[in-house]
Amino acid sequence: MRIPRIRGERAERVLGAFSVALLGVIVALVVFVFGNAWPSFSHNGLAWFSSGGNVQTQLGNIYHSPSNPAHYVYTLHAWPLLYGTALSTGLAVICGLGLALLGAVFLVEFAPPLLKRLLRPSVRLLAGVPSVIYGLVGLLALAPLIDSNLVSPSFKLAVAPVVQITGTGLLLAVVILTLMVTPIMLALIADALESVPRSWIEGSAALGVNRWRTMWRISVHTIRPAIAAAVVLATARALGEAIMLSMVSGAYPFAPNPLDGLNFFLEPILTFASAIVQNADGLFSVTPFPQTIYAFAAVLLVSAGALSFAGWLVKQPLRRYGIR
Amino acid sequence: MHRIRRSVALVICAAVLGPAAGFAAAKTIISLSGSTSVYPLAVALATKYNKLYDVGFRIFQGGSDIGVNDVAHGRVTIGDASRDPLPSDPSGLYWYKIARDAVCVITNPANPISNLSQAEVQSIFDGSVTNWANVPGAGVTGAIDLVSRTSASGTADAFKQIFLGQNLNISGTAVEKQSNGLVEQTVHADPNAIGYVSLDFIAGTYPVPYKGVACTLRNAKAGSYPGVRNFWMITRGRATGAAKKFILWVQHSSAANQIVGTNWIPLH
Repeated sequence: MRIPRIRGERAERVLGAFSVALLGVIVALVVFVFGNAWPSFSHNGLAWFSSGGNVQTQLGNIYHSPSNPAHYVYTLHAWPLLYGTALSTGLAVICGLGLALLGAVFLVEFAPPLLKRLLRPSVRLLAGVPSVIYGLVGLLALAPLIDSNLVSPSFKLAVAPVVQITGTGLLLAVVILTLMVTPIMLALIADALESVPRSWIEGSAALGVNRWRTMWRISVHTIRPAIAAAVVLATARALGEAIMLSMVSGAYPFAPNPLDGLNFFLEPILTFASAIVQNADGLFSVTPFPQTIYAFAAVLLVSAGALSFAGWLVKQPLRRYGIR
Repeated sequence: MHRIRRSVALVICAAVLGPAAGFAAAKTIISLSGSTSVYPLAVALATKYNKLYDVGFRIFQGGSDIGVNDVAHGRVTIGDASRDPLPSDPSGLYWYKIARDAVCVITNPANPISNLSQAEVQSIFDGSVTNWANVPGAGVTGAIDLVSRTSASGTADAFKQIFLGQNLNISGTAVEKQSNGLVEQTVHADPNAIGYVSLDFIAGTYPVPYKGVACTLRNAKAGSYPGVRNFWMITRGRATGAAKKFILWVQHSSAANQIVGTNWIPLH
């Protein structure tokens, strides 16, 4: 039996076919999701993204809409979901970036060698922890703590006709999301910091610049593309986090009100990803309901697309200076 | 060479399909899905039936509507429902009543209310009363945390029918859980919470007497507890073969009756 040798151009064609197939899968996914989501958007127009009414009640009405297509119910004002997603993701990534940057600078530049050898693997380990474990700890250990120590009974009572405050909410969601995204960013930023040419740092030191200033002006400035990449990756992970957030965010479609002062952080949210998980048991119902859930997925897809575009955009001015 | 390839392909096919085919021939498998309230009963019945007749079972839970829908689409042999048939259900389904079950209103053990009238249950669950201070006999003060079920739940439907009536709806502020067990866990953990579950899920919580009658199996069996609903098994078209045999066994055998009697209300 002769084993056929694969010639160069044939291998090229095979690999090309694979990448085209991948592109095809992406296009098919987008077309499929948007095709299914379209009725929800077209019936609501721009009001889909506005606020008004109770989202949970609206979803219930959609679920129970009559089976006659002429009487389908589509009305949905999904602002609380949009706001909750942006709020939890944004806050977690900002907090996480600060922690990761400081942590990485310490790890690479200031930590004693022994500590460094200990910290690096533990950061990697933390980055690999399945998020649902954080969710479990948050729900069973931290939520009761917040409920008994931070939630004021009078505030809880005052807002009871509108929303329930139970310990799970924005604060816990952001804390745990931050815990989840920080190690990833830290690992990426630390790797980048280590690849900064030693001669640049030594050159700066030779000019009499102190260690801290060298760190900021030389190392951190050099690795800006890596920081952008870390932020994009962390945002993507936070955006797509579903199960953990539906455990710790309160999973109630409410738009936290900044006018409530610090209580703002105790109010529940529901993100698009966890809204999909929360409503998965209704997906077989009359057509409008799955179409509404597809609309959540469509918004997530668009944000993921916008995210990678933003990441590319941020890198453009840096590329001009020859940094990559 | 081609012949070699073909024979290799045949061997692989045989290796993949062989055990599956053999397995299917050796044992009948009945699949069930639906109500999370019926689930523990279905598991207990299936375990016993499996011992007696060597029939395999696959049991899924998710909510009554899921059971109704799965069986209507032929995804399972039998659907479980803990609510009565609705006009909006798919046609061509046959509903077999298998047991009755009590729905309990539950609170945290720190809040042992001595009694709730129907009007009180209605005003709490429709959101018109939001403070425990306004509920006579409450053991806690502060806001009422309503715990309800997602739309697919049969328990939610039964609760609405029995406790709230046609015209009232559960308040939109209620937190919605996907199963009886999650409601039980939430009420167990939160002193201010109130929810409703199947009688089988009251451990760790306080079942509130309704209309002056305690929510216990004894009262439910005696007919004095008013919050009782039906459990159903559903087939697409009239039940046939293994499914028919199983459902008849559930409805009529004394062994099944005994299992139902442990936590639910037998039909006979």
